[in-house]
Amino acid sequence: MSTIWLVLLGLAMGAIFGVALEKSRVMEPGVLVGQFQFRNFTMLKMFLAATITGLVALAVLNGAFGVALHPKTFALGPVLIGGLILGVGIALAGACPGTALAQAGAGYRDAYAVIAGGIAGAIFYGYNIDWIGAALSFGSYGKITFADLLPLPFWGLALILAAILAAFLLVVLERLVPWQADMDKAEALLDVDAVQAGHGYSAPAE
Amino acid sequence: MLSLSKRHWSPYVAGIVIGLLQIPAFLLVNTALGASSSFVTAGAWVASLFDAGAADIAYFAKYMSADKYIWQSALVIGIALGALLSARASGSRRAAFSPAWTRLTGVTSLGSRLALGFVGGFVLLLGARIAGGCTSGHGISGMAQLAVGSTVAVAAMFAGGILTAALMKKI
Repeated sequence: MSTIWLVLLGLAMGAIFGVALEKSRVMEPGVLVGQFQFRNFTMLKMFLAATITGLVALAVLNGAFGVALHPKTFALGPVLIGGLILGVGIALAGACPGTALAQAGAGYRDAYAVIAGGIAGAIFYGYNIDWIGAALSFGSYGKITFADLLPLPFWGLALILAAILAAFLLVVLERLVPWQADMDKAEALLDVDAVQAGHGYSAPAE
Repeated sequence: MLSLSKRHWSPYVAGIVIGLLQIPAFLLVNTALGASSSFVTAGAWVASLFDAGAADIAYFAKYMSADKYIWQSALVIGIALGALLSARASGSRRAAFSPAWTRLTGVTSLGSRLALGFVGGFVLLLGARIAGGCTSGHGISGMAQLAVGSTVAVAAMFAGGILTAALMKKI
């Protein structure tokens, strides 16, 4: 595929991704950190809806048309330690690597510092990959999926998990925490004056 | 339902839209959605400005040339453009940094927030590169492929995030 086509395709797909991140307010620092404090469930809902959609899409692509999957390697050391560090970074940055770009586009100037820090972090990793890799080289199990561990085809297990997650979202989570209520909190957090005056969004009493 | 001028989409609609992007990713680029690799591509080019030997480091070289990393770099620039378009079309204005930070960490100046943001970004990508993926690659894509490693990565991400957020003031 030619480079120009890859770039145009990437830009178009990214633009759709960016619109969805801005419209759902998942790129708001208060929404992301709020998820980690169990005060706002927008991020978990978007994440699970994307996962469910991906499960169904890949069940069809892989099950009916034989499209190859690309699961990442299960290397316990890197995944566990890297995942923990990444989680700390999400809370400090108020962003994931993708949402940092959405924040910059939506107008947050501190997102440029997050992006610059991210590029610096990636450079640091590139220069130090040998010893970091060696230190965390425990527990490598290859590119395994849960479908490899269970006597079910990928498409079957994917559809079962999609159904379970969808039921959890709609029957449990949405009933406990309606999305519109979380969106109102996110909207209030956009207003500098109201937040600084303490009126924007009143946190529940401690 | 998918109007650009609306201020909000429900997280369900947004998630479905993002999940559907897996279809062109798998069919046209032969890869899954991801974002953090693009920071290595950018980092490799930045490093090669200062260090002529950077492009000889195998890890950097891979991210400077392969098709899927070119596509992914365009993808993240597209994310910024899409968010810009969405915010403009719906009149969602934003401060220099989210007022949520003042509530969470007490920062009131842009300078302090830039410093914490830089550190956060550094930690974010260091973790993502060690783990081999971020909330997109391991999260949305890995879970959708039932990958065992990605499920562990997502659990670890939530653990790290929850522990760190617990040290901040409640939002």
